[in-house]
Amino acid sequence: MRETAVKDILRTVLAVALAVAVYSAAGAGAPALLAVFNAFSVFVLYFAIRRGEIFGAVLGTAAGLVQDAFSLGVFGVAGLTKTLLGFWAGFISRRIDVASFGRNILFTLALSVLEMILWTLLTAVVRPGSVNLQGGLVVLQPVITAVLVSGWLAFERRRARIRSLRGG
Amino acid sequence: MPPWVKRRSALVLPGLVVFHILLISVQVPRGAEKSLFERGVFFVFAPIQRAATGAVRGLGSLWRNYFDLRGVRAENRELRLKNFFLAQDLRFLEDRLKLARSEAQIRESLADFEGSLITARTIGVDSVNPHQSIIIDKGSLDGVVRDMAVCDRTGALVGRTIPPIGFKESMVQLITDKDSSVSVKSVVSGLTGSMTGRAAALCDLRYVLASAGGTDTKGEEVRTTGFDKIYPAGLPVGVIQSVDPDQTSPIFLSIVIAPYFRFDTIDVVAVLGPRRGGGG
Repeated sequence: MRETAVKDILRTVLAVALAVAVYSAAGAGAPALLAVFNAFSVFVLYFAIRRGEIFGAVLGTAAGLVQDAFSLGVFGVAGLTKTLLGFWAGFISRRIDVASFGRNILFTLALSVLEMILWTLLTAVVRPGSVNLQGGLVVLQPVITAVLVSGWLAFERRRARIRSLRGG
Repeated sequence: MPPWVKRRSALVLPGLVVFHILLISVQVPRGAEKSLFERGVFFVFAPIQRAATGAVRGLGSLWRNYFDLRGVRAENRELRLKNFFLAQDLRFLEDRLKLARSEAQIRESLADFEGSLITARTIGVDSVNPHQSIIIDKGSLDGVVRDMAVCDRTGALVGRTIPPIGFKESMVQLITDKDSSVSVKSVVSGLTGSMTGRAAALCDLRYVLASAGGTDTKGEEVRTTGFDKIYPAGLPVGVIQSVDPDQTSPIFLSIVIAPYFRFDTIDVVAVLGPRRGGGG
């Protein structure tokens, strides 16, 4: 039990560090890309679907707080929305079948849209006037997130199938 | 198995939500100081950001310096020709500049910052709204402290350093941030006011009385006044884009300013240390 907890903490730290690296690389390549690509959401959704609601919620908290630390927004807003995103993704994916690519993309899109709405509402309440929709570009963010997460999961499944075929 | 283990998920979520609500609550209304926790998170993860940006830039540099050597001879010939014409242009501009400002004045303004100018590179932009802040690769070990003015490579004002300031990384609040405030003055008509950002590419010049005139100042340059004791006087900020009567408060003008610094091309910046003899 303790060993699993330690492993989960290490996995969380590693996943957040990876998300920071991807976010920074994207920002260094093209800063405007960050309007449509949220590396933290991608990592939270992917790991929540794979490892369940508790891991998703804890990873969401860590990733959201790191995202807040790299921003001038109120510390905790992204933390809260990503905690809920991670929890919902892990909880619902254990109860309904989201294995196929089509279902998965719809599921992650719905959750990403929900997260964006929640984040926009919260930011509008705690720091009025600071929400910038980047000329509507941010609307694309849930779509990009959903495509990346579903693509990543589909790639993982394909790789696992090939591996099992080779093994069998 | 104890019941709390069975209902772990039902306990974890409310716990985390309450933690975040408390975290947000203690900051609203938003205070000036960043919490120790937030600074800690920044300290831990900023070096990762620095390494990732360095890796991307390193790859880009490898591409430019090694693979892109093809055609460099033709480019060299072209550049020599361009250099010749640029030298001519420079001589012409120098003559014009001498007419506008005396050489002594220019030397004096540069000498003020001599030895206190820190060049830095942008390693990150605001993860939520790119017009709010950037992160640069110089920190307290390089002499960066809070409230130092930051300019782009052309000398136009970009913003100021704010906490958290790490050992080798610091955050810069851009002048386009909603909570930023810079005291500025237009160079010809002398309209003076406080410039605040719109969390977008433009800024507003506030508290300029309608009686001050200035309705035909479109395109006029605005510079810092130094009254705010943060930004040194005379730094170019941007140009006036539009001047209209303020609909909500008719005694003031509604002035929109387009800053000079370009967010999409911002890379190398200069952090200005305090001028010798004070004065912001």
